[in-house]
Order: sequence, then C-alpha cells, then structure tokens
Amino acid sequence: MSQSSTITFFNEPGKTVKSVPSITTPGKNYQYVDNGEPMRGGMKDVYFGPDKSYVVAFYRDKQDYNSRERLKKLVTQYYDSFFNREGGEYYKELYCWPTDMVETSDGKVGLVVPTYNKNFFFKQGYATSEGIKGKEKQGLWFASAKFRHPQFALRLDESELGNWLSYFQICVKIARGVKRLHAAGLAHSDLSYKNVLIDPVSKSATIIDIDGLVVPGLYPPDVIGTADFIAPEVLATKHLALRDPTRKHANRTTDLHALPVMIYLYLLYRHPLKGGKVNSLDTEQDDLLSMGEKALFIEHPTDHSNQPKMDQVSKWTLPWADVAKLPYTITGPYLKALFDQAFVTGLHDPNQRPNADQWEQALLKTTDLMQPCSNPKCQQKWFVFDNTTSPTCPFCGTPVKGTLPVLDLYFEFKPTVWRPENHRLMVYHNQYLFQWHVNRHVVRNEKLTDEQKIPVGYFTFHHNKWVFVNQKLTSLKDLTEDKEIPVNTMVDITDGKKLLLSTEEGGRVVVITMANK
Amino acid sequence: MTGEPIEAVKNGVQVMISSLRQNPQAIETAFISIITFDSEAKQVVPLTDLASFQMVDIRATGTTSLGEALKLVSTCIDNEVTKTTAEQKGDWKPLVFIMTDGIPTDDWQIGLEEFRKRKTAFTVACAAGSAADSALLKLITENVVSLDTADSQSIAKFFTWVSASIGVSSTKVEDGGQEVTGMGELPPPPAELNIVT
Repeated sequence: MSQSSTITFFNEPGKTVKSVPSITTPGKNYQYVDNGEPMRGGMKDVYFGPDKSYVVAFYRDKQDYNSRERLKKLVTQYYDSFFNREGGEYYKELYCWPTDMVETSDGKVGLVVPTYNKNFFFKQGYATSEGIKGKEKQGLWFASAKFRHPQFALRLDESELGNWLSYFQICVKIARGVKRLHAAGLAHSDLSYKNVLIDPVSKSATIIDIDGLVVPGLYPPDVIGTADFIAPEVLATKHLALRDPTRKHANRTTDLHALPVMIYLYLLYRHPLKGGKVNSLDTEQDDLLSMGEKALFIEHPTDHSNQPKMDQVSKWTLPWADVAKLPYTITGPYLKALFDQAFVTGLHDPNQRPNADQWEQALLKTTDLMQPCSNPKCQQKWFVFDNTTSPTCPFCGTPVKGTLPVLDLYFEFKPTVWRPENHRLMVYHNQYLFQWHVNRHVVRNEKLTDEQKIPVGYFTFHHNKWVFVNQKLTSLKDLTEDKEIPVNTMVDITDGKKLLLSTEEGGRVVVITMANK
Repeated sequence: MTGEPIEAVKNGVQVMISSLRQNPQAIETAFISIITFDSEAKQVVPLTDLASFQMVDIRATGTTSLGEALKLVSTCIDNEVTKTTAEQKGDWKPLVFIMTDGIPTDDWQIGLEEFRKRKTAFTVACAAGSAADSALLKLITENVVSLDTADSQSIAKFFTWVSASIGVSSTKVEDGGQEVTGMGELPPPPAELNIVT
C-alpha cells in the first residue's frame, strides 16, 4: 500500500470504503465510507468512518498554503495546548475539535473530526411526528419561539426542551468555550446556532466547525459569519475590497457580538436586533442596514424605534416576541448590564463589548438569583428574582408563596470594613451553599475541583421557619447573636441577620433580607 | 408531463418539503407556492409557510403554457410577496424554480416580459428530458439545469439540490460587495446535473 495514493475497497454496490493518509502522522490512514452522496456542509463534503466514531470532511475547494498551515496547526499544536494538559478533558466536551488532517492523492484536503456525542441527536424531536428524530440538535431548534409554541404544528416535544435554568447552564458552557479560545489568542469567527450544538436535556453544548479559527494577523478569516450573528461593523464594510484597510473582518470582538446574540436568543427566543424599524424600502438593503450600519437593539432603553410591532409578529413567536410582556430585564440585573454593554454601548463600538469571561460570571451569578416556580404547569419552571417585595413568575404569573430569604454577599475590604460583592443568593427550599459563596478566592469556573463542587450546607424551610444546615463550614458564625455554628448544627435564617461564613482569608459575610413578607 | 416524469416531480416536491421541514432555518423563513402549467397555468398551492403546507395532487398533461405560467408567477409575486413599506418589513426576494419537459406552446415571450419586471433572488430553470429546450430556458434565466433523462432518480437529485439551496449557511468572505445572483451562491449541484453555460 503506497502511502500517498487513495486506496479503494469495494464492499457492497454503491458503498465504497476508501482510505486516506494522515498528513501529520506518516503511515497512518483513515477509512471512510463513500456512497457517492456525502453530507454537504457550507464548504466541505462529509463522510463517516466505517464505525461512525469519526467523520472525514473534505474541502471542496483547493486549500492554499496559508489555509493548510492553519489546519495543520489546528490538529497538532492547538489540539495539544487545549486538550493534552491538565483540565483538557473538560474542554473535549465543549468542542468538536478536529483530531487530524488528511490529503488524497489528488490534493484534496480533509479533516478528521470525532462524531458528536449521542445526546446531541434528537431522541424524540417533534411532538407530533418522527420528522427529526435522530437528527442533530443544532441550536436554532432551541433559539426560536416557534418550536416551543404549544400549538405550532412542528413544535418540539416537551421532553426535548429542558427548562429555563437549562439554558443558563448551556450558555455558561458556550461562554467558557469562547473564553478558552480567546485566551489562546484565537477567534472562532463563525459562532452561530448552526455551529453550536446544544442539548437542554443534559444541559450541554459543543462548539463545532472549529476549522474556521482565526489567528489575528496570521491567518485571515474565510467566512464573514452566519446571518443573524455577523457583527454590525463586518456587515457595514462587506462591500469594500478584501484588502481595504477599513474593511472589518471576523475576529475576537466579532465573536463577542455573536456570543451575546446567542445568549439572548437562548434565554429570550427572539433576536436582539430584529425589530420593527424599517431602514430602507428595498428589503435586502433594509436587512443589511438593520443588522449592520443602522443596527439598533430592539430593547434600547431610550430609542424605542426598533421595538417589534405586535400587529406584525407571527402568532407563533408569542409571548416571546412581546418585549413589553417579557423584557430582557427578566434575565436579572447582571445580564441586563452586560446586554446593555453588548447591544447599546458596544453594538457599534467593538472594544466596549463584554468579554466571554464576564458573560460566564454573570450567567453563573444569575443562577444564584433563580427561584423554582411553584406552578407545576409552568413551561419555564425557573425564573430570576425581580427584586420586588411580592415576586411573581414572569412566565406564568404565579406569585411566590411564603417568605423568601435574600442573602447579600460582602467581602472584607480592610479590617472591619465590609463591602458588597454585588452578588446575591436567593434561597429556596433545599438550596445548597457552595465554597464559591463562602470564600471570594474560590472562583466558580471550569477549574473547580471535585472537592469544591461538594455543597458546604443547605437551606431548608423547616417547622415553619427558614434554617441553614451547616455541613462543612468550620468557622461559621452568627454575628447578630454572636454565636459559633458548628458543623452538623443549624442556624435560623431571619430578617437582618448577619452570618460570617468563614474566618479564613477571603471569607465572606452574608446579610439576610426577608422578601415577600 | 406524464408518466414517470410527473410522478418523479410529485415525489421530488414531497421529498423536498419533508427535508425542508427538518431544517429549522427553512421553517423559520421559507414559504412555498406551486404553480402548474399545461393547457393553462394554475396556482395549485398559494404561498404557504412550511409548517402548514399541504401537498396537493400535481397534474400537468397536454400542452405547455409556459408564457401563462410566467405571467401567473408575476401576479402571484405582486399579490403574495410582502413589499417593504415605511411601516413594515417585507419578504425577501423569491426563489423561482421552473421545471418543464417540453417546448412552450403559447406566446411565452409576453409572459417573460412580465416576469422580467419582477425581482427574484434567483431563478433556476430545469429542462427535464430531451424534449425540453434549454436554449429557450436560457432566455428566462442564466441558471439552467438540464437533466438528460427525466427519470425519477435525476429529478429526485434536482429536488435535493433545490432543498439545499434554500438552507442558510455561513457567508464566505467575498471580495467587494457585488450582489451575487448567479449559480455562485448555490451549493454545487450533484454530478448528474448538467449546468448549461
């Protein structure tokens, strides 16, 4: 068998197993099944390996020197730096990263990519037919209001949808995936709901189509992105010549536009820039302006001209299309601030856009503000505490029953001076407390150890009062009553009470407020 | 069209609808209308969103009123494709797929004149079988696909390709902002199709 030629085996008619050599490892070959009808991506033809554990994706167009070098780096140097080091396993879940590069004897370049985990394929799919059972869960299925409307003919089965909290976890994972790429100096350049598969059931997300990765200055982007996610400055300058210095290309800051668009879509099931404002009487021109040069946030705090017009939206997009009924503020104060930064101040000023780490932290902090809805029929099941004295679920209108402890976290700014963290924990029955609440030096991110993921105690509504049961905190102290709270004992949670969670360096104080009294 | 070709077209439309119904982008954005033309042109399905689309029996026997069909598609575009106004966003320009296995039997030029006044994102004409005149179709659009034989397999391939061209994918970096209206924007057709150039 010569290494450089494509070897062909014939099995059954119409189905041929071919073999193609690796570029990076001499002597290594990959088999793939060619039935004459590959799956067609935007730029690649995709063939399964015989056992379907990987695919070989061939570029239809000839790849130039730069592109080949970039792909080679992707499967060697970048692969190693992402996965073959401590914590690398975590990232394997977040990306579908090519593992090798191949080339046929006639110069066709391809990538070997692992097949997606089986939870990224629909178990059930549509509620009323088999139509998409077994198909990939590309993000758009979950980013559109239609597919979750209980009367829409092609709606997804409830068992596929997850609840509102699931999408926070999914967005955290996407943000982490983007954060890690950016930390390595790379940009994805084509983040979209097509290139991120999500699974609300297992609350996971995986970034695919990694091969478009851009290294600023070194490898230029070959796509401007996917409609709906292209940054305004890229669209506004796409008419310019490729080498025009004022033309804007996909890079890290355009990823930082696509990321919040995706987060907004997954949490609110509408597009942040697609509103009612008409910018040109020519439809295509209008589209270009509305997403580009004249892009305007549909929930801009002062300019309401792009708010969706309720008499023009499809009934299947309700209630989500109604920004008066479900404003973006239902995502809570931390995300509201970041959405403002991304879609108001940073929309046309790329350097103002929040980075992926900020999104990750804001999403995580927001989950601390979430309450389960007491209505078993509520579609979303969870909502963010709205800071009112009598909170209700914004989705189904069910009011919260009984009192609601709110814990505000403080850190020691200097001896005896404590300052607010701008971090609040809403308590619900059987809510857990973790190390990252107790100590400000423990950051809640993908680097947490298993030990740090074990709760240190829990809150419970017991004999008609709220209590905290201490399981692991060795220096918990009730400052109001000046009393130590040893492990395996509990402390009453009452209005105005102050608790010192830990005497260690970085240990926090919480101040309790009772809401919904 | 009779016999195998028309059955293949019916099947092709069916397959196309079911494949589009598995594509969330298409369900979000695409509306479909079907016009048949034989001794007369008829809109058998008005512009309908994919989720509510119901297939009807397609019949096309006898003559080939291509001119009438072009006139009718023009009227339908006027009536059913929402135009952008100062108050309301309109629809995108329509994609028009014309399929024929014969030579027009009516005054197709008048119809073409009307059709040319309408803006389409792209128009693809498909000449199915040896009796169709691809040179004539070239006058309607530069995008002409010719199927050597109007058998079920090649017609099915054509519809697979049509379905793929309706999906959305990443936009490649292009040099300069020329609006691309030719085949360059479509996914490459399968090998069995011959693009007439």
